[in-house]
Amino acid sequence: MSTPTNRKIPPAKRNTGKTNPLSAWFNQQKEAMRFSMERMWFNPMSTWITLAAIAIALSLPTSLHLLLKNLQTLTADKRQVPTVTLFLKQQVGEQQAKDLAELMSGLVEVENTEVVTREQAMDKFRKISGFAKTLDTLTENPLPNAVIITPNLQQLGDEAVDVEAFANKLRKYSEVEDVQVDVEWIQRLRAILNIADRIVLVVSVLLGLTVLLVVGNTIRLDIENRKEEIRVTRLIGATNAYIRRPFLYGGIWFGLFGGVLSLVIVHAALLFMVKPVRQLTDLYGNTLFTISGVDVLMTLEILLFSCLLGIVGAWLAVGRYLWKDEQAA
Amino acid sequence: MIEFKQVSKKYPTGQLALYNVNLTLEAGEMVFITGHSGAGKSTLLKLVAMLERPSKGEVLIGNRPLSKLSQSQIPNYRRRIGFIFQDPHLLYDRSVFDNIALPLRISGMGQAETRRRVQAAVDKVGLVGKEKTFPLMLSAGEKQRVGIARAMVNKPTIILADEPTGNLDPELSQDIMYTFAQFNELGATVMIASHDHGLVERMQKRTIVLQKVEP
Repeated sequence: MSTPTNRKIPPAKRNTGKTNPLSAWFNQQKEAMRFSMERMWFNPMSTWITLAAIAIALSLPTSLHLLLKNLQTLTADKRQVPTVTLFLKQQVGEQQAKDLAELMSGLVEVENTEVVTREQAMDKFRKISGFAKTLDTLTENPLPNAVIITPNLQQLGDEAVDVEAFANKLRKYSEVEDVQVDVEWIQRLRAILNIADRIVLVVSVLLGLTVLLVVGNTIRLDIENRKEEIRVTRLIGATNAYIRRPFLYGGIWFGLFGGVLSLVIVHAALLFMVKPVRQLTDLYGNTLFTISGVDVLMTLEILLFSCLLGIVGAWLAVGRYLWKDEQAA
Repeated sequence: MIEFKQVSKKYPTGQLALYNVNLTLEAGEMVFITGHSGAGKSTLLKLVAMLERPSKGEVLIGNRPLSKLSQSQIPNYRRRIGFIFQDPHLLYDRSVFDNIALPLRISGMGQAETRRRVQAAVDKVGLVGKEKTFPLMLSAGEKQRVGIARAMVNKPTIILADEPTGNLDPELSQDIMYTFAQFNELGATVMIASHDHGLVERMQKRTIVLQKVEP
């Protein structure tokens, strides 16, 4: 506010009731916020379309991320990883199975054992398969007794080879008909998830760029429409900062509202998913798993990120215009 | 206060608007600039507001050459000037109130003070009751008065007016001129370009006549 030319003017002639710089700054921010907000709704249709584009672009990586996060909680569940199932021979009875389980829990490689009797297995199968009626026609239960072993990974190491060797050792027991190692699918899933992680990252970056471009282009069009206004305000002493400000706030609003809308979309999609996922987890007999949604921290992160994209997009658009304007002058 | 030193202005089109102008205005002076159209009245005012730059020579404000102002100092300098354009350059998507308030908002004035100042300016140019109207619904004379109010609302130290009464009836023209004179009495330096000789003579102020010379 104090150019040398300013100082030569006697105070009496200067603007009376001059606002101090801090409250002037504050007033300017307030004014730019109010004005840019009003501006947004001058043309509600195109604003909604822009917001929808931003929201969709943001909700896609968010939901992919959620999907991944949920799948990761499945594989991170240490109680289930990995398990070895021993299917016992038909003639082996329930008591024998229990004895065998007891015997096995004495092995150093074994962390935990669980006996699944043929009746329990049948019950479960009845529930899962939906063949209840067909199964009732069977005269006897064809399922064997089984022992589920959770190996002690500290003793065994996490290597699939070691688990496989352990399985072979178990296969030698006379009561054992077959051994199934439940570890491969987990490892494969983990590997797939690692790739999916990268895919989500790439998609996020691309769609983030999309938001940047959408906001930038919207602001650019807005500037085109308001060239006359910019020219006039320049004539009466507007600084570049003053000209830039409402557009930057415009970018923030687009980012913020787009972010809010994307959260609405994600939440709606989650609600849509809850029922079938519940059905699926019930089928697996897993009552502990629930879909983890967008928590408070993630909400804030998304909003902050979308605001940031908005302001950067707007900054690029206005910056380019002001630069060109200055070159022309 | 305002000094022209051997100023010439040639537009890129080749038109020579001003040739070797030497002129000094004291602080707080009020002068009229007359001359037939195309004599360079508008150009003279535009040079003071830095809307144009001289091709030769130097314009000094308060002994400081304008060519020494950096790009970032220009907005601040312009805020001290109230410029009334021939075409008032109003913003058509904003009400009369918002148009007049523009300079105050640019300098970050608070709501209450802005309202007070705008109201006073509206009062002065006789537009009371039209604050909420949009410029499209105003007559040419009313638009001109909005432009005048906008130029004065910031209490500028320099007022430049390019044919400010061109669209106004004689009575209102006289009123507006008295308003300029009032600002002048409060200490503002005023330059008015006008070809209304009757009005200029009645005001009894220093008059500068621009003449067309062949260089």
